[in-house]
Amino acid sequence: MTATANMTAPSLQQIAPNLESRVKPGDLATAQMALLGVGVALIGAGWATGGEHFYFSYLVGYMGVLGICLCALFFTMVQHITRAGWSITVRRLAENTMAALPFMLLLFVPVVIGFDHLYHHWVHPDANDAVLAGKSAWLNSTFFFVRVVIYFAVWIGLALFFRSGSLKQDETGDPAISLRMARVAAPGLLLFALSLTFAAFDWIMSLDPHWFSTIFGITYFAGGFMAFLAFTIVMAKWLGTKGYLKEAINVEHYHDLGKLMFGFMVFWTYTNFSQYMLIWYANLPEETAWFAHRAVDGWGAIGTILVVGHFFIPFVFLMSRHVKRNGIALSAGAIFLLVIHCIDMQFLILPGADHGAEHAAGGEAHAVAHAHEHANGFSAQLGEYLHNVHWTDFGCFIGLLSILAGIVVMNVRKTNLVPLRDPKLAESIHFENF
Amino acid sequence: MTAITVIDEPENPLRRAPLVEGNNDFTSVTDIIAGVAEKKTPRGWYLMFGISIALLLNLGAMIGYLIFTGVGVWGNNIPVGWGWPIVNFVFWIGIGHAGTLISAILFLFRQKWRTSINRASEAMTIFAVMAAGIFPAIHVGRIWVIYWVFPVPNQMSMWPNFKSPLLWDVFAVSTYFTISALFWFVGLVPDLATFRDRAMKAGRKVAAKLYGAFAFGWHGSNRHWVNYEKAYLILAALSTPLVLSVHSIVSFDFAISLLPGWHTTIFPPYFVAGAIFSGFGMVLTLMIPARKWLGLHQLITLNHLDNIAKILLLTGTMVGYAYAMEFFIAWYSGVEYEQFCFINRATGPYWWAYAIMVSCNVISPQLFWFRAMRRNPMVLFIISIFVNIGMWFERFVITVTSLNRDFLPSSWGYFTPTLIDILTYVGSFGLFFTMFLLFCRFLPILAISEVKGVMPQANPHHGHGDDAAHH
Repeated sequence: MTATANMTAPSLQQIAPNLESRVKPGDLATAQMALLGVGVALIGAGWATGGEHFYFSYLVGYMGVLGICLCALFFTMVQHITRAGWSITVRRLAENTMAALPFMLLLFVPVVIGFDHLYHHWVHPDANDAVLAGKSAWLNSTFFFVRVVIYFAVWIGLALFFRSGSLKQDETGDPAISLRMARVAAPGLLLFALSLTFAAFDWIMSLDPHWFSTIFGITYFAGGFMAFLAFTIVMAKWLGTKGYLKEAINVEHYHDLGKLMFGFMVFWTYTNFSQYMLIWYANLPEETAWFAHRAVDGWGAIGTILVVGHFFIPFVFLMSRHVKRNGIALSAGAIFLLVIHCIDMQFLILPGADHGAEHAAGGEAHAVAHAHEHANGFSAQLGEYLHNVHWTDFGCFIGLLSILAGIVVMNVRKTNLVPLRDPKLAESIHFENF
Repeated sequence: MTAITVIDEPENPLRRAPLVEGNNDFTSVTDIIAGVAEKKTPRGWYLMFGISIALLLNLGAMIGYLIFTGVGVWGNNIPVGWGWPIVNFVFWIGIGHAGTLISAILFLFRQKWRTSINRASEAMTIFAVMAAGIFPAIHVGRIWVIYWVFPVPNQMSMWPNFKSPLLWDVFAVSTYFTISALFWFVGLVPDLATFRDRAMKAGRKVAAKLYGAFAFGWHGSNRHWVNYEKAYLILAALSTPLVLSVHSIVSFDFAISLLPGWHTTIFPPYFVAGAIFSGFGMVLTLMIPARKWLGLHQLITLNHLDNIAKILLLTGTMVGYAYAMEFFIAWYSGVEYEQFCFINRATGPYWWAYAIMVSCNVISPQLFWFRAMRRNPMVLFIISIFVNIGMWFERFVITVTSLNRDFLPSSWGYFTPTLIDILTYVGSFGLFFTMFLLFCRFLPILAISEVKGVMPQANPHHGHGDDAAHH
């Protein structure tokens, strides 16, 4: 190391003397317990009342919230690799969010319990199904669980590495830690991309094991990153109302987070448009079957709602600079997008879920026949959706999100609120959007 | 010429590396950049320009021959109805993606290092799109009715087919060209005014008149700058979706079909990543010699090259991800035709093209995991050539291997280009380099005002104590 690298970063006292660096002891404890309590209660109630459908509802919530945790890891790594300055104060919140990944492993248990039911299409395939027989090398229970272990090992390993490095820098102020994290972020992102893609294939796409789409991993990432940004905006704003992070995450950071959220909301639309348009245009039965399921049983209305709610409304709303620079308006937009993210997960996971043992081939014929005999108007479809939807389809997402928020609050209480000795902290606090 | 010291310090997280090196101030930056156009034309320029013009004339001859004879002069035939022309089109349009990415997306991401390379990259973009546009236009066979691609009301009540992505291409590419050219030109205005003023002072009246005409009477007033900044931001915001949309629509040309190897949902983002990859490859191919011959080391520093190399590594790996997904899903789908198509790509008669594609696009950029490689202009230049080659072969592999063995084995065939194919493609480089050489000779090759904006002197607090670290 050269002489300059032996210097340490300036301390918070030098940069922003009025900044609160820690949550007061005992503060936010009630909120933490309330969030965790509400979350556990909702999941418990869902489990008690949901019957077999609970597992699908749980998967909706789980994949929705997992995307947020994983993209917190993604956000952290991207900030390191790009040597970003603006986001240092936001990064600690992301680090505390990705630190929930070990808990996500624990929360995976209900998926394991419901495994047989969720993935019965390929766990108990039709003996005459040559297509499923052909992919049994990938879709078999043993390898599925081996992959679960690999994914979580990668995610938890990376999350712990980046969080502990950052916390260590709080104490030592060693700028070399920043360099090391930037270096590890590059292979980290590669591992992240592959593991997230295959997790999306395994846990969502294989619910309908006949269907396939090369872009599927990217669409899941796009929605997850948007949801992570929405979650972070809401958490930061809430902590701000409690008197924390108000100066550190200020209007300039909200503006930037809002821009990113807008960008990835549009990116979600782009990836989903690519997927839908290409499948619709080619009209090959092995691909359209998936969308045929999503045109009946009320899902037709949800497809429309996603187009409007995941694109048109937020596009117009978040376009404005004033909205992005107004914490309340931006948080409202973020909460709206979190709800839409839950509906997006429902759209991916629930259609066809309750057809029980009815196997895919029969299911497709059912869906096509169904599409012809039923009214397909928006209001008729919406009525059917509202009639079919179980409270747990939202309840599990809210419950898991609440648990995540509780874990984040717990972590926030344990760590410094911002990376105190990060070399670029001053840049983050003083930057401006022009 | 003064000796040039190249700074290659290890990265220090405590401070941002300067974007302009050496002991430069605003005047010296203007002198360096304007000097390129004001100095006596070097001999090497005449040599390169001569070669480029010769190739351009050859392009004209090939196009003339094609129009008078018919598209039969190309190797396109059943089963490969889409041969080199579409490959060349996608190749050039892909290269045309770096400029707008640098000027628009990197601008929105506040990547200040873009200022040293954006002008030349945007110019490159415009020339690449021009080269691209030729191929589909001459492919129609009857070029005299090319205006039929536009929805112009006519007495035959004949309309273009709005369901065809080839028509969407017409709109996408022409929009992209228009916005890119506008963006480039808006950025040029203040610099053209600088050139005008310098030409005036040097007594070069004609040059002053010409630069002046295009500088729109710019005299750097506060009001001008306010309007300029606003226009720049709006154009950046408009260009950002265009960077993604143009190559997505190009990918639709293939992906909306039913053909294995073409019809796959990852195509739009995969093509965009590939386009950025190839565009940055060409940026390096052009800028490394320009940096050396025109003495721009202090403005285009090793840090700039390092950043470009990182983008090449990123986008090359993204392309590798897409190749892997295609292969995995072809197997996973259980669709025999998909499986055959990909095995045929890798091991069939065109295995060599596939091998070139993978080694150039995915393997060669992996060298950039090493900092020393990212900061070695020679290595960068060689890899950038590999990238150009690899990305041409990617389009070749996609186009030809999905067609040469179609659903009917009796119609299988092996595609061979004709001499006309080859000379037309080589000629398109003539157009590209002719334009680029003219640009280097007569226009500000770096964005003077933008480079100044990222220098410490542009900081209003400059020189007041704590900024001393910058000197």
